[in-house]
Amino acid sequence: MPVEVIMPKVDMDMTSGTIAVWHVAEGAEVQSGEPLFDIETDKAAMEVESPASGRLHHVLAEAGSEVAIGKAIAWIYAPGEEVGAPPEGSAQGPAPETPGKAAAGETTAPRPITPAPPAVPDHPAKPRATPAARHLARENALDLAAIAGSGPAGRIARGDVERALRESGEQLPSAASGWQPEGGPLVVHRAGGSTGAPLVMIHGFAADSAGWQKLEACLPTERPVVKIDLPGHGRSPRRPVDSFRSLARMVVEAFDAEGLDGAHLVGHSLGAALALALADVRPRRVASLTMLAPAGLGPEMNGALLSGLARAGRKESLAPWLKQLTAEPQIVTESFVMAAMQARKDPALRAYQQDLAETLFPDSVQSFDLTPALDRLAIPAQVVWGRKDRVFPWKQALQAPGRVALHLLHDTGHMPHLEAPEEVAAVIASRLQAAAGQPVVTPAG
Amino acid sequence: MTAPAAVLDSPLRELSYAEAIRDALAIALAEDERVVLMGEDIGVYGGAFQVSGDLVHRFGEERVIDTPISELGGAGMAVGAALTGLRPIYEFQFSDFATLAMEQIVNQAAKLRFMLGGAVSVPLVMRFPAGSGTGAAAQHSQSLEAWFGHVPGLKVVQAATPYDAKGLLLAALDDPDPVMLFEHKLLYKTKGPVPEGRYTVPIGKAEVCRTGSNVTIVATAIMVHRALEAAEVLAQEGIDAEVIDLRTVRPMDRETVVASVAKTSRLVVAYEGVRTLGIGAEVSASIVESEAFDYLDAPIVRLGGAEAPIPYNPELEKAAVPQVADILSAVRGVVRGTR
Repeated sequence: MPVEVIMPKVDMDMTSGTIAVWHVAEGAEVQSGEPLFDIETDKAAMEVESPASGRLHHVLAEAGSEVAIGKAIAWIYAPGEEVGAPPEGSAQGPAPETPGKAAAGETTAPRPITPAPPAVPDHPAKPRATPAARHLARENALDLAAIAGSGPAGRIARGDVERALRESGEQLPSAASGWQPEGGPLVVHRAGGSTGAPLVMIHGFAADSAGWQKLEACLPTERPVVKIDLPGHGRSPRRPVDSFRSLARMVVEAFDAEGLDGAHLVGHSLGAALALALADVRPRRVASLTMLAPAGLGPEMNGALLSGLARAGRKESLAPWLKQLTAEPQIVTESFVMAAMQARKDPALRAYQQDLAETLFPDSVQSFDLTPALDRLAIPAQVVWGRKDRVFPWKQALQAPGRVALHLLHDTGHMPHLEAPEEVAAVIASRLQAAAGQPVVTPAG
Repeated sequence: MTAPAAVLDSPLRELSYAEAIRDALAIALAEDERVVLMGEDIGVYGGAFQVSGDLVHRFGEERVIDTPISELGGAGMAVGAALTGLRPIYEFQFSDFATLAMEQIVNQAAKLRFMLGGAVSVPLVMRFPAGSGTGAAAQHSQSLEAWFGHVPGLKVVQAATPYDAKGLLLAALDDPDPVMLFEHKLLYKTKGPVPEGRYTVPIGKAEVCRTGSNVTIVATAIMVHRALEAAEVLAQEGIDAEVIDLRTVRPMDRETVVASVAKTSRLVVAYEGVRTLGIGAEVSASIVESEAFDYLDAPIVRLGGAEAPIPYNPELEKAAVPQVADILSAVRGVVRGTR
């Protein structure tokens, strides 16, 4: 009997999950306990392990489809087991074989393998939508067929239309402000040596991988360092981002493409939130997580500072904002401002970043909440925050569960890796040593 | 609760639902000598659910009349009394026994005004102890109010609170046409504030018992209490439920329901009668036929009784009618878009 793969309930009030990606192709072999697919719920994304060893068949739910919990989505056949007809629809398991009523002499030919029809038929010509959604779409001359529904079987509710309306409203200024959507993978910078588990660094909003320089200088040099440029930052393409989740997906893609194992993640601000999201979906390939002044732990933020940074087109308008990032304004020197402006001289980059800020931080609110992911985290993790952070209040760190270490730095603002690189490096190094089984030496001071 | 100012001035005391009905009956008997009570064992015995209680001692056997064990006969007598100038209030021991009296209720009481060109009216009040939860099994536990709601010429009322039980009964007596009062048996012992003296609660008017913005729960009788209990739990989860006590099944207060659903966009209907072809269907239809249709943002959910006779086993009896947990899961489903 093949083992059925069901949509698991991984969250208290989850009633369905969306399959983000299958890690195993139809017909391919899989071992029990290996990652089989990723699911996304309203709150989180996570990896689901294979319940059995064998070959995967009858995949009923493709990536992107939403499935009710408890529903069978595929079956795993033991090695050598004959692949039969696809079992009927749901979690009741394969339909029993019809007892041999065949006329004498008739050979029992294996039944053809055709995938079972999906539980809900597709009507591409006629989208499923609530009356309220239809009404709102009609009033705004929106085509329902172009809207993705969030309800069961893709049903479009009023909220989906409202989102589509907001997005169509947002796309106009972005087109006017002149950035063209681009494709392709995120740019990844590789540095350091080749000994030991890699460090993966994810920079924050309106920064890029060059911003890690000061911290890198204080870190051990033998390890490989992988720095990811976020879309529309540094040298990465300007890929359209419609939500935190879609941004996180791009980072996961870039991480997966590197084929890393036992990675130590270091992220700053928005990059810290992305590192946390990455650790949440790839727990087995991440050894530790260090979050510097992370986003995503509370709604409050300094929206004026963020949009000011994204907008600033000259060093005169950029400098005052930059000086708010750090506790001591003199850290932001004239040459620092000039270098920062050099990286931001392209108006399309600034336009892209303004749109990204509006998507992720609408109305100066952090729209994504990563505290559930932090609660779930099983790997060693630590938060480093400056007590004088003027972007996100450090008290958001108190959202973290007890097993997450918290390092609060005096006289430090939103840029601990620039303002206190040695202290931050020591915090990271202690984690690396702990992972390597070496005794942890607390840095002096 | 809406009460006339004069009523609010009088002291509020707590009465049980049964006591509130008895209070209304006593007021009616004292005020109007045309009022008579009829029914099986309502005299010295005090009624199957002790609603009439001591009224026979206070008003005498000519006003509180024990009728023979024949619902058809008793109901016929009541219809005749109403036609000829009295104001009878007929009590069934169990609403299930109304099946024996259907001829008198449906073919006579409901029709005579129309068939006689308005020359007569039938100012009859009938009281029906209804509903499950007492372990009385299939022939003593039904909720048949929707049957009567299907008959033009009848008014059908379900009070959920002692206050409404008294006010609606007095309003029924003021009505020139037959009014059927369905009283949920589990409510008889529930207590609530009931003013002294006469007041009425309008027939045909629903009450918004709890205002909310995310979902409308329309409930009748005991389901009102279950819906309110569910609403408190849901509030903790961030779901703001509006609870409407329908109070009258016929004529139904569609306006209140439509206005609420136009606001909340979601509807769950909870009632004890069998789900199919019941109150839920009528409430749903009034939404999809109205301007509220365009505001609906989730499928409507009807929570009604199981498609089965009410079982004797107490666990199965509970499972056969909507409970708080059923309301919770239905509301979560429609609000979170998973249903």
